[in-house]
Amino acid sequence: MPEGIYCNKTPITTEEALKALLSDTRGTKYYAEMEQLEVDREKLWATIQKTFKSRMQTWLDVCARCGLCADSCFLYLVNDRNPEQVPSYKIHSTLGEIIKRKGDVDGAFMRHAMEVAWSRCTCCNRCAQFCPHGIDIGVMMGYTRGLLYSQGFVPWELKIGAGMHRVYRAQMDVTTEDWVETCEWMAEEQQDDWPGLEIPVDKEDADIMYTCNAREPKHYPEDLAEAAILFHIAGENWTVPSEGWEQTSLSMFAGDWEACKLQVQTVYAAIERLRPKRVVGTECGHAHRATVVEGPYWAGRPDGQPPAPYIHYVQWVAEALREGKLKIDPAKRIKQPVTYQDSCNYIRNWGLAETAREILSYIVEPGYLVEMTPNKEYNYCCGGGGGFNGIGKFRPMRNKALLTKRDQILATGAKLVIAPCHNCWDAIRDLEEEYHIHIDWSFLKPLLLKMVIVPEHLLPKDEDSEE
Amino acid sequence: MYAFLTGPMLWLSFAIFVIGCAWRVVKYVKGLSWQLDRVPYGYYRELAWKGALKSIFHWITPYGSRSWRFKPLYAAAFFLLHIGLVIVPLFLFAHVMLVSERFGISWPTLPAGLADALTILALAAGAFILLRRFALPEVRIITTPHDLWIMAISLAPLLTGFVAAHQAGEGNGWLLAHIVTGEIWLVAIPFTKLSHVVLFFCSRAQIGVDFGVKRGGQRGRGIVW
Repeated sequence: MPEGIYCNKTPITTEEALKALLSDTRGTKYYAEMEQLEVDREKLWATIQKTFKSRMQTWLDVCARCGLCADSCFLYLVNDRNPEQVPSYKIHSTLGEIIKRKGDVDGAFMRHAMEVAWSRCTCCNRCAQFCPHGIDIGVMMGYTRGLLYSQGFVPWELKIGAGMHRVYRAQMDVTTEDWVETCEWMAEEQQDDWPGLEIPVDKEDADIMYTCNAREPKHYPEDLAEAAILFHIAGENWTVPSEGWEQTSLSMFAGDWEACKLQVQTVYAAIERLRPKRVVGTECGHAHRATVVEGPYWAGRPDGQPPAPYIHYVQWVAEALREGKLKIDPAKRIKQPVTYQDSCNYIRNWGLAETAREILSYIVEPGYLVEMTPNKEYNYCCGGGGGFNGIGKFRPMRNKALLTKRDQILATGAKLVIAPCHNCWDAIRDLEEEYHIHIDWSFLKPLLLKMVIVPEHLLPKDEDSEE
Repeated sequence: MYAFLTGPMLWLSFAIFVIGCAWRVVKYVKGLSWQLDRVPYGYYRELAWKGALKSIFHWITPYGSRSWRFKPLYAAAFFLLHIGLVIVPLFLFAHVMLVSERFGISWPTLPAGLADALTILALAAGAFILLRRFALPEVRIITTPHDLWIMAISLAPLLTGFVAAHQAGEGNGWLLAHIVTGEIWLVAIPFTKLSHVVLFFCSRAQIGVDFGVKRGGQRGRGIVW
């Protein structure tokens, strides 16, 4: 079984190994080694026998090959209706073939399957809504990714991403110290404008424990500050855990189920340690899917629930507006054509379409919201989901995939897109950079901060009057 | 020959059909895994039932799902084919008479003209679905010989039955062919893609539970199709 130094079947578990893999710029050597990587056919078949159960077996068996899934897939549509992009074809020619051959496949097949699994499916699950048999190709593609990962056929960035979770319990190298320091720094920075504002770390029995995406502390800590300010204005009794604060899971994109389990257990341990009444996650779709929708199963919780009620950021915002914890200044509502990007992971796969609209009813002047077509649960993926955004090797395919969202946005005539999901936000940023359609895009937090009414007692005291 | 085909062979075919289908269902249910499937099968019974039944109901209702409405022509063909294959045989006068003569039980039957019309429409729908397979690149690419066999096995009893019913006193060749193809069809169901006769309900119920319990059903909007 020749395995490479960079490309092999062994997960990244140490900082050294992680740095070594990172040093291979753009994965050049990694992908060169993958050309030689052999398949451990016995292990592959043994894994399948243990994990390929009747749901997926039946899905493959009864697929009527009717092709109704074709039009449901934005990648099929945007790639000029190439039949090789039909969801049914994508899964039957990869997973279906592996099963049919009882795991007797070679490296070339696996490299092709890798391309299909990560560049022709974003696991958005839209096809599941259009199949008469209720076959969810996205779920099967996720499973296929797991098989590919276990054999070392995984895009370079995602091998690194999964390794990050294994080493740091975060998708980026943010250590506990980095995180706690960022919290202190952000709280300090806001003191002048927001006297008394805190980012309480490890407070026990708070009403809310807040978790986020490692990119926030790493690359835009102001997002954390904004979350803190909004909790402050709303008068919430909240906290962040020093460990278990990272809610995302690139390991889910990679198909590294063991790392998924390690990651989510860290968050659940924080919940059990701090006993918050409930947990609020940041504006991120896949983070929600990983920690709330799928995480309980990775962690072995039979009721499918995290240890405390765990809500997406839009749920907290909708509630805060509804209950008057946050009040919007009517004069500052959005008065330009605006549209909303429904994320696959918390809209289609968690049912928050109406919750999001409830928020819009508070922050957008009536008449200015222009919905995308299709929208809500039927919306198309942003074009970069399921890890697609982050894979350099598949960037040309990803850029093509962005055309769907570009055209949807153009059709609305909106100049602003509200996208409370990191992945969608990135995809929309990238499509603007790539195609220059002159739009803005935003998370909810900065928008809310611009229009929220700040209660008198929270405003900084005028120094003169204090004397 | 006739006695054998309508006697032991018919019983055998029904037995294989019933036991085979039951076996497929049992195997399906036993093979579900809450952790691997990521669905809490044992919890939220009410939501689960609601999700499962709602999902099945909307898909067996003509144009009851967004997908059916999105593809009106295919949906028409789909429902006509299935009405011809399921409803017509069950309520056909000749079939009900046979059961009545043997077992003394009977139920309402379809008027002969309607049964004929539905049979012809089902055959036409089958032909349309077959042609569509070759005409549309997105369906052609996923079509396998198995799909063609399945269609042949399914349409044969309809065609032979229709001819037999309309053939006045010319021997019983078509009738025999109808019985044989009908038995082949019954026997094929548990062993081929035709197992969707029962597995459709399993698979739809499962995704209904998945969406109904886990993926949005708890947030008040019910199932997401």
